[in-house]
Parts: sequence; structure tokens; C-alpha cells
Amino acid sequence: MTTIVVGVLGALGLVSFFHLGLFDLSSLLRAASNLRQFILETFPPQFEILPALMHAIWETIQISFAGTLLGLFLSLPLAFLAARNLFGRWVAGAVRLIVGGIRTVPSILFGVIFVIAFGLGPTAGTWGVALYTVGYLAKLYYEAFEAVDVEVIEAVKSTGCNRLQLFRFVIVPETANTMISQLLFMFEYNIRASTMMGFVGAGGIGYYMVGYVQMLQYQHLLTTLILTFLVVMTIDYLSLRIRSVITVAKN
Amino acid sequence: MIEHTQGYDALTNPSDAILSAIGIEHSYDGKTNVLSGVNVTLRQGSLVMVVGRSASGKTTLVKILANVIKPTRGQVNLKINGGHLTRPIAYIPQHLGLVRNLTSLDNVLMGALGYTPTWRSLIKKFDRGVYDKAMDILSELGIKDKAEKKIWHLSGGERQRVAIARALIQNPRIILADEFVAQLDVITAMEILEIMKKLVQRNIALLVTTHDVSLVRKYADRVIMMNKGNILDTHDASQDISLEEILKTIQ
Repeated sequence: MTTIVVGVLGALGLVSFFHLGLFDLSSLLRAASNLRQFILETFPPQFEILPALMHAIWETIQISFAGTLLGLFLSLPLAFLAARNLFGRWVAGAVRLIVGGIRTVPSILFGVIFVIAFGLGPTAGTWGVALYTVGYLAKLYYEAFEAVDVEVIEAVKSTGCNRLQLFRFVIVPETANTMISQLLFMFEYNIRASTMMGFVGAGGIGYYMVGYVQMLQYQHLLTTLILTFLVVMTIDYLSLRIRSVITVAKN
Repeated sequence: MIEHTQGYDALTNPSDAILSAIGIEHSYDGKTNVLSGVNVTLRQGSLVMVVGRSASGKTTLVKILANVIKPTRGQVNLKINGGHLTRPIAYIPQHLGLVRNLTSLDNVLMGALGYTPTWRSLIKKFDRGVYDKAMDILSELGIKDKAEKKIWHLSGGERQRVAIARALIQNPRIILADEFVAQLDVITAMEILEIMKKLVQRNIALLVTTHDVSLVRKYADRVIMMNKGNILDTHDASQDISLEEILKTIQ
């Protein structure tokens, strides 16, 4: 049985490789030569353009931060309604369908949609990141809400409180550390999403990246990538430190 | 079909019963009955202990009496005329159901959610009288100095007292506590049961489940012995029954 499965998968792989031109030797040689040329033209990076890029990278960080916050405000009510331990199957199911629908849209498409709505610039990017955030954060949150100890919910429910009071006094305090941790992770992740927003003119460093590619200024492109890499690594590190402090506090 | 009614069935219950459950059956999976036609009555100002081994149906019975779950069949009658600041039944689950991330005082105030307007409770604006009452109860239970401490900083006995305080702020006529002292050392368990004994003198009816039969003779006014979803025997004067008899019955 295993031999048949491996054989079928192998055959499918070979057909796909062939169909996609991965066995085309002349094409592979041409690509290697182009890449070599590209790498030669990329080095060394030109750090004298850094002052000009600082404004754009700062805008990317702002898009990510504001987009994540906006996403948080939109996610909370959706996660509240989507938690099956707070609402019935039908309400939770309908809201989950909406959240799932939002999650299927790629961030860059949200960027395009909001560029149409708001015009070029960071406002479109911020809304794009916010909607993208909702798809993931709402799911992470309703799953955290549903993991709250059923005994605590039953005990507080028995005092005669309503769903909003239950959310305020049980669900939020019991999941606060998880929520903050996931929010920081989302912010960290959104730095990358915000970079992409620039590709469609929705603000930030991505706009420069696309511009340098189009103008064949690969040394400038490399400088931009290094700057973005440094910012992403710094935010990843800070976020990791904060999240580890939260995890320690939680335990 | 359960009915938590304000009236009560004079034909099937003694006249001084404030809570009576008649013919309670329950099944979680629709196949196996965890309770099979249980009848229980609770009189004002009495401490009833329900003893039985694990999986004898004690927890399910308490949840049904507390209206946390609905029985598959049977009826629960409540004969209490409470004011608007009263929850007739307070429920304390096995692991107490406290919100660990909040302070003792916050947990006690949660008992007042049922009679506090939603918008005021959401911004934690409880009436001065409710705050004072919460502090008075904490003081009476000897943990006033722990009011601002979060639950996870408290010992087992202190948590138990917070759970009692949350029950008391509901001005209940009945307190239902499941495996209430199961996780405490003998001395602390006895301290807590002494507190419960004092509550009985205030005309509060108490129903406490336990698998620790040694506590029964000292504290219970009445003992109900359960096994495999059935009540096997009840004794009005628990002093008259020996430990050996109880153990033999519930085995």
C-alpha cells in the first residue's frame, strides 16, 4: 500500500515538475545567469539613502500598529458573538462564517480594496491591515474564550449575571494574558503585512521596494530590505520578551 | 420537565421544605442515567450532607438543584419569596469557580451582578452599600486583609472563604456546595465547616456534597447517601448513624 502511495505521489510530482518547466535545462541556465547578474548589481547596499527611507519605515510601523489596534476593536465583538459558550450554535456559527470569509481574503487584496475606497496612502493600508487582523484575531480570541473553565462560567452565571457581565468579569480577566500575547504576535506579523501594503500604493516601505524593482535600482532595494529586516527583528525580539514576561506571570 | 417554580407541591413535600426535587433523572448521553429518580428535600436552617463515592451522581444533583443544568426528567420546586436583592440559591462548584486573575473583592462583588444594572457593573460601579457589604462579609470570614489580593495568591482555605463570601453577598436562602472541602487539609476543612454551621443558625439551608464520610457525623443535620445515581438511604439525625454503616451503604 505504502509503495503504491509513494509511487503515485512520485509520478504526480514528476508530471508537475515537467509541466512547470523545472526540467527545462536552457531555462534553468538562463535563470542562473540572470540571478548571478541580479546579485552582482545588488551589492553593495547604499546606506546613504537610509535617511530618506526612515519616514517610510516609520509609516509601515504606524500602519501595523494602528491597523492591529483597529483590528482588535473590531475583533472583540465578533469573538464575543462567535464563542459557543456565550451564544448559541446559530449566532456563533453565523459570526464564524463571517470571520472565516474575512480570513480567506489576502491582505494585499484588502489593500487594493481600500486604495479604491480611500485613494493611495497609509489610510488605505491601515484599514487593509485592520481587516486582515480581524480574520485571525477574532478566531484566536473566540477559541481562547471557549477554553475558559466551564466551572467558573457556571458559578458566575448562577449569580444571575447576563452575557455582557460574564464577558467583562470572567472571560476577559481569564483570557487577558492570552489576548495580549496574541495581540503582540499579530502586531509583529502585521509589520510584514504592512510592508506588502506599499506594493499596491497603500503606504509604507513597500512602495519604495516596488519602485526600486521597477527602476532596476537593486542596491537601493537591498538597503530597503536590510532596514526592513532590522525593524522586523527588533520588533520580533521586543514582542518575544514582552510575551515571555506575560507567560511567566500567567504561570 | 423541570420547573423552578415559586409554588410547591404540598402532596409530595414536607411543609417546611424550601427546596424539593422530585423524581429527578438525568442522562448526559441520552443512554446512561447518572441520576435515576432521585427525591430530595431541603429544610430551612439545616445542613444536609450528600455522601457518595465518585461518579455516584452528587455533582449532577447539585447542578440540577442550582438550576445550572436541566434534568432529563423530574421537577425542582422552590418555595421562597426573595426580594429584588436576593438570589434564592447560591452555588459553589467543586473547584469554587473563582476568577483567578481578579482580586478577592472583585470575586465577591460578582455575587451582586444579578441585582446590579449592567452598565454600572461593566464599569465596576457597584453601590456603596454593596461594597460595604462585601467588605463586611470578608471581615466576618477573617480575610478582609486579602480583599485586594488576586485569587492565585491565596491559600486553599482563603479561596474557600472567598467563595462563601460570593455566595453570601447574594443574600441566599440556600447554599449548594459541591465537594466543598475536598481539597483542604483536615483542620482547614473543619474551620470552613464551622463557618457553614454558623450560616445554618442564620436560617440558611445548606447542602454540601462530600466523599469524606468522617465529616458527616460532626456537621450534618441530615445525611443523604448516594450510589450509582440513586439515593440509598437518608438519616435525619446523622449522629445516630455510624461511619461503618455509611461506608457500607455507599459502597
